[in-house]
Amino acid sequence: MSAAINSDVVGSRKRRDWPQHGILWALILVELLPLYMMLQVSFKNNAQFIQNPWLPASPGAWHWENWSFAFTLIAPYVANTIFVAVTGTLLTLFFAVLGAYFFARYRMPCSNLLWSVFMILMMLPSIANLIPLFTLLKELHLLNTLWALVAVGTAGGQVFNIFVLRNFIEDLPKDLFEAAEMDGASHFQQIVNIVLPMCSPILGTLAILAFLGKWNDFLLPLIILRDKELFTLGVGLIYLDGEYVKHWGQVMAAYFMAALPVIVIFLFTMRLFVRGLSQGAIKG
Amino acid sequence: MPSVPLSPQKARREWKLYFFIVPSLLLVGVFSYFPAGSAIFHSLFDWQGGDAKQFVGFDNFRRALGDKVLWNAFGTVACLMLFNLFKMIPSILMAVLIHRLRSDRWQYFYRVLLVVPMIVPHLVTLFIWKFFLDPNLGILNRVLDFTGGKSALVWIDHVFGWGIFFENAPIGWLSQPELILPALFLWGFPWIGSVGVLIYLAGLQSIGSEVYEAAELDGIGPIGKFFYIELPLILTQVRLSVVLLIIGTIQGYGLQLLLLGDSGGPGGRGMVPGLWMYNRAFIAGDFGYACAIGIILFIFIFTLTVINNRYVRVDK
Repeated sequence: MSAAINSDVVGSRKRRDWPQHGILWALILVELLPLYMMLQVSFKNNAQFIQNPWLPASPGAWHWENWSFAFTLIAPYVANTIFVAVTGTLLTLFFAVLGAYFFARYRMPCSNLLWSVFMILMMLPSIANLIPLFTLLKELHLLNTLWALVAVGTAGGQVFNIFVLRNFIEDLPKDLFEAAEMDGASHFQQIVNIVLPMCSPILGTLAILAFLGKWNDFLLPLIILRDKELFTLGVGLIYLDGEYVKHWGQVMAAYFMAALPVIVIFLFTMRLFVRGLSQGAIKG
Repeated sequence: MPSVPLSPQKARREWKLYFFIVPSLLLVGVFSYFPAGSAIFHSLFDWQGGDAKQFVGFDNFRRALGDKVLWNAFGTVACLMLFNLFKMIPSILMAVLIHRLRSDRWQYFYRVLLVVPMIVPHLVTLFIWKFFLDPNLGILNRVLDFTGGKSALVWIDHVFGWGIFFENAPIGWLSQPELILPALFLWGFPWIGSVGVLIYLAGLQSIGSEVYEAAELDGIGPIGKFFYIELPLILTQVRLSVVLLIIGTIQGYGLQLLLLGDSGGPGGRGMVPGLWMYNRAFIAGDFGYACAIGIILFIFIFTLTVINNRYVRVDK
């Protein structure tokens, strides 16, 4: 009998939630509208879109050629962006792990000084750097190369990643490192065998954040890249937007393809991502 | 394992450890510190970006003080800042709404739905919004036509004599100077930042259900609960968001550049300081002056950050 009363209470409570569900659904539907429009317009030609902007066209009238057109257009940009984002992310994390290990393992002479060298940058806005950065890259003969983006991206990621990783490495049990040292492990071996496996969740989250940051970047590529073969997605999409006559179906298909690699990553790492964000919020 | 200070002998033995910090140090030195120093140095020169430069002292800064465009840009950015602060509200409300749901399964479900918009790259979201605001094809104008919102706007226009909205012409959100700021305000409706909501939710999770039960016994209504229980608990996160938002808004110009072009759109109404710096450097070729604008912005943001750290305490 008590179970019956309980379920009754729970049921009435749940029923009281319906106004909240209503508001949430309304907000989320509007929030998802861009995604929906992008998908359904990508199958239409301009005439179909003007006639019927809201509902998807009937499947028989879908214009798949929008997608093949968009693919040939955007595939090279995607490839360039993947190169920049993946190389940049790997290098960022590799150097950041080394740096964080240096700060977390021992307090060496000058450690505090070096630490503030990094942490000051956390406070300093980087807006004034853009123009000298441009001339610096020109002098290094890195203008119009993808390596410029990799290098600047790697440098830009150091401060934040070292800051986060230092905390995580310091939280690892000290005995592990001491035992490894007894067995004659070098510092590099300690990183490979202790730090990497034990910090893998946070490394995963940081990798996703770094990857997304580099994927979304467009200001620096816009200034640096000149040759069409080197365009990353950012610049490629800006040029696509600048075309005078637009076939919205093709444009939307291209937009969707620009999101595709990120979608794939999300499908596999969503849990890591949601949890990592919440963790980060609590920690700092 | 908080790091312990080493004895000098041990430190000498571990000198190789310094190699671990060298790459990061080099990267930061070359790509962060050097440009920053170079910006300060070159702000004192008349410099077109090449080898030739001429020392002009503080002329660039004096010029900036009298630069109307720059001051208007600061006004615009102040407006945008107010908009952005207002736009934080829906995210906070959404986090509270999700948190108050009694079913964990629904809570998780809404979280997943929140993450979905994040898979669309910012740039793509930006262009889709530009498409929404298009005068002829954009869905904002279609919605206004359909719901009669446009007739209402035309009527209001008639009463006040603005001369912006007309019955037989589409509304040019991004082509009419007066409408640039309203368009930037509408931008991103319903203004839900997925990351923000997730962060607020994490803060809300520390509230136990007994707190709610106690509040209910005291007869505190839903609005009271928000102000007495929920808001105080996420205040840390909200403050942090405000600080990041202020810095981001003052520095930001990507949105304006892509939406309105490098001269800030019709009448330059969308010009922000960052965009003016970009414009002076890469359109006008006046690199020295652009560096000076960058330094002014830098000082501005840095001062705000210091004030923030002093007076708006973010408790950890």
